[in-house]
Amino acid sequence: MSEEPLVVEEQTLCAPCTAACPVHTDTRRLVELIARGDYEDALELLLAANPFSSVCGRICHHPCEQSCRRVKVDAPVGLMRLKRFIVETTRDYRLSRREGARVPQEKQKVAVVGAGPSGLTAAGDLARQGFRVTVFERAETPGGLLGNAIPRYRLPYAVVREDIDDILALGVELRTGVAIGKDMLLEDLMGEGFAAVLVATGLSESRALAIPGIDAHGITLALPFLRTALSPQPPALGRRVVVIGGGNVAIDVARTARRLGVQSVVLVCLESREEMPAWKWEVEEAEEEGVRVMNSWGPRSVFTDEGVVKGLELKRCTAVFDAEGRFRPQFDETDAATVLADNVIIAIGQHGDLTCLAESKVALAGEGRIEWGRETLCTSVEGVFACGEVVTGPGSAVEAVFDGHRAAKTIAHFLETGEPLKQPPMEMPHLGDLPDDVAGKVKVLEPVAADMLSAEERVRDFSEIERAFTEAEALAEARRCLACTTGALADEEKCAACLTCVRICPFGVATIEKTAVMPEEKCQACGLCAAQCPAAAIALKRFGTDEMRGKLREIVTGMKRKGMSVPLVVSYCCLFEMTSRGFIRRAQEDCPQKGIFPVMVPCVARLSVVDLLSPFEVGADGVVVIACSEGSCLYPTAEERLLGRVRQAKGVLGEIGLEEDRIDYWKTQGSAEVSWTAFWELSRKKLERIRKSREGGTK
Amino acid sequence: MIVAERKPLSEIRGFVEDYYRLLVVGCGTCATVCLAGGEAEVKVVASGLRISFLQDEKEVEILEDCVTRQCEPEFVEKIQKRVEDEKVEAVVSLGCGVGVNFLAQKLETVPVFPGVNTKFFGAAVEPGVWIEMCAGCGNCILHLTGGVCPIARCSKSILNGPCGGSRDGKCEINPEVDCGWALIVERMKKLGTLDRLAERIPPRDWSTSHAGGPRKVVHVEVASLDDEKGETEP
Repeated sequence: MSEEPLVVEEQTLCAPCTAACPVHTDTRRLVELIARGDYEDALELLLAANPFSSVCGRICHHPCEQSCRRVKVDAPVGLMRLKRFIVETTRDYRLSRREGARVPQEKQKVAVVGAGPSGLTAAGDLARQGFRVTVFERAETPGGLLGNAIPRYRLPYAVVREDIDDILALGVELRTGVAIGKDMLLEDLMGEGFAAVLVATGLSESRALAIPGIDAHGITLALPFLRTALSPQPPALGRRVVVIGGGNVAIDVARTARRLGVQSVVLVCLESREEMPAWKWEVEEAEEEGVRVMNSWGPRSVFTDEGVVKGLELKRCTAVFDAEGRFRPQFDETDAATVLADNVIIAIGQHGDLTCLAESKVALAGEGRIEWGRETLCTSVEGVFACGEVVTGPGSAVEAVFDGHRAAKTIAHFLETGEPLKQPPMEMPHLGDLPDDVAGKVKVLEPVAADMLSAEERVRDFSEIERAFTEAEALAEARRCLACTTGALADEEKCAACLTCVRICPFGVATIEKTAVMPEEKCQACGLCAAQCPAAAIALKRFGTDEMRGKLREIVTGMKRKGMSVPLVVSYCCLFEMTSRGFIRRAQEDCPQKGIFPVMVPCVARLSVVDLLSPFEVGADGVVVIACSEGSCLYPTAEERLLGRVRQAKGVLGEIGLEEDRIDYWKTQGSAEVSWTAFWELSRKKLERIRKSREGGTK
Repeated sequence: MIVAERKPLSEIRGFVEDYYRLLVVGCGTCATVCLAGGEAEVKVVASGLRISFLQDEKEVEILEDCVTRQCEPEFVEKIQKRVEDEKVEAVVSLGCGVGVNFLAQKLETVPVFPGVNTKFFGAAVEPGVWIEMCAGCGNCILHLTGGVCPIARCSKSILNGPCGGSRDGKCEINPEVDCGWALIVERMKKLGTLDRLAERIPPRDWSTSHAGGPRKVVHVEVASLDDEKGETEP
């Protein structure tokens, strides 16, 4: 029997949230760190995967949430808002970690053209590896569309800047107001000693629309409009604005127009409601704010009065895509409509601006598209690479970040070996949906409500519309995570096929196939089987008490040495009842005076008899187990099972002549802050009485 | 399966009072399944002993181990080695009585103390509940009694029951104990073979049981190669 925790085989499957994230943020682990109050580690985890974590905590399209296995039970875990909570909670820590972040840069020079999320991500990755990186940005401020187009009510510039400043702190040089292709040529960069150039200029230009009357006064394109809206002199608009387009940019434009005081904003798009490329929630929020959406209409012409736009003639769109799914709209010319407008803003897509390639030998693959290797990110010129939306087409911020990471990898490889790196698309195998039979047994926990300002308040100005989670809310939301991939694993060498796990599994997951098997797509990681296994053959993949016992030994032994006048009590507490980490930290700091040492456990029902006894081995006088409040345990039968083990542990104390009363079991009442201190006080007093009566007995 | 129950720690502690380096050994088969002496229970016993010694401020090193079966030389070998290498002074076995015997034989000079009381051969009739079903008498007559053993399940082990102490299917010794013969009758009714009970079961030869002295089973086809080494000695 080894003293080491059960060795866990390399995971073959990951949580679906992690698989769905383009940069594979270990969201499952993130939530665990939040639940434990390890906010700084959570930030490190986020930033390691995604340098634009502040941005993505606000505007990510969060595919992680869409694939959260909790959808089979109630609603996904609010992962994006948890990310935002982390970046907002750890601001000071993040500032401090910037000091000394600079990496000695002794490797070759790399130029990045474009300071959007993909270019800056690549720049950061390369700088971290010691390359000397300079980012050239045409605009005066970095951030690409994040910094210069996305309206502030969704993404304040300070948030973008937070992420960018991290990257710059690594030693990346940023040169704004320099347009490659105009102020200096791509070839000049090579001449200046840049060993590699990355083109990451994004999709900076709005597509125009060719219909009669489109040149009328009062018609603008989406991106110039959004850029001006961010400036100190926002564009002047009339009473009625029509936005053409059904994507997220169109929604941004419409909602911006409302915030600029326009009473009537109509959004016209070819797509039906279901086909709209804009995120569903964005469309709903826009409608709440008074934007009227006209689905399945296409613009036929602009009607004008003396060269000034007065409205649009529309024709019914009967189909947007052809049988092969290609964009090929069909219209019913007989079905027409008119919409009045003082301004029309066209938001029907973006294209890249390839000015930076002027006079270069970089080959194009058709109009406005760079010839580019999807797996190597190479262009036709050796040493010149391209990444991000300029080559991949429109996507989301996190996808741009992903491409930035890929670019850094191929460039580093190229500079080190002379060869680019092939990175074929990779799917991460994951657990898949939660099976229905298990989903039916999982406790429903409604999500913490996403507080948003009322629509009336929202349209008043460009203030952020959604507030962040409070700490208590973030911890409550973290509790909802199903902890996918952290389930039980049986060691077949030790398993005696005794069936105990099968008999006690509250989710009907454990089975015996020669030895015990807990299928990982079903296991809910409650740990009841592990705590009860007579062969000690079962361990949770991400939870061991051996380490906890070691730490406890260290701490308690240290305390005993210092000599304490109060009884020493180890208190195992339900991690999920924690509403602030400050409370626990204070309690731990007060331990030398008060004698209470709290140990947070993700569900105390995971504690084995030995876990309950081991504090006594190292000299504790008592053990207090504090479970969650009545009715809030996530796992059926967990409390009864734990109580059984508490009785067993008390029995052991009795057998060796110690008072069974030294182990107390409580259920949280109200909140941790309210009830735990009282429980500790009661136990402490009782132990003092025991101590006195023992001293009396020995006299 | 052999069913056992852990001894109270106070008793175990009494056995090992004079030693300073102990090894608690579990058994990964029957003792594990009946929750008496598997690896988890080893940890509990070791922990309990540590706490107990700590109370008396006595420094005792307690090692833990668990083998697949304490009744096989190959599995026990590692315990022999550990005891020797780590200078273990005494062993507490949480295996059944067989395990204690076998370990004691193998360890020669190091005392082995029983950590469990070995109770019977039984089955888990429900989670956490075991009932005696076989007495190991060496001459099975279950074919005569509908698969219900009168030796193990009748308090008197009588061959032609029930006796006058059978009341509403329960035994006179304890109203919670089923009358073995009532079980036999019910079972044979279900089988439609009740009439066979009209035939008297003759008195049996108890020499196959413990009355004949310690017993031995030899499978020549496996044993013969090692015959010279005497590995089959009881």
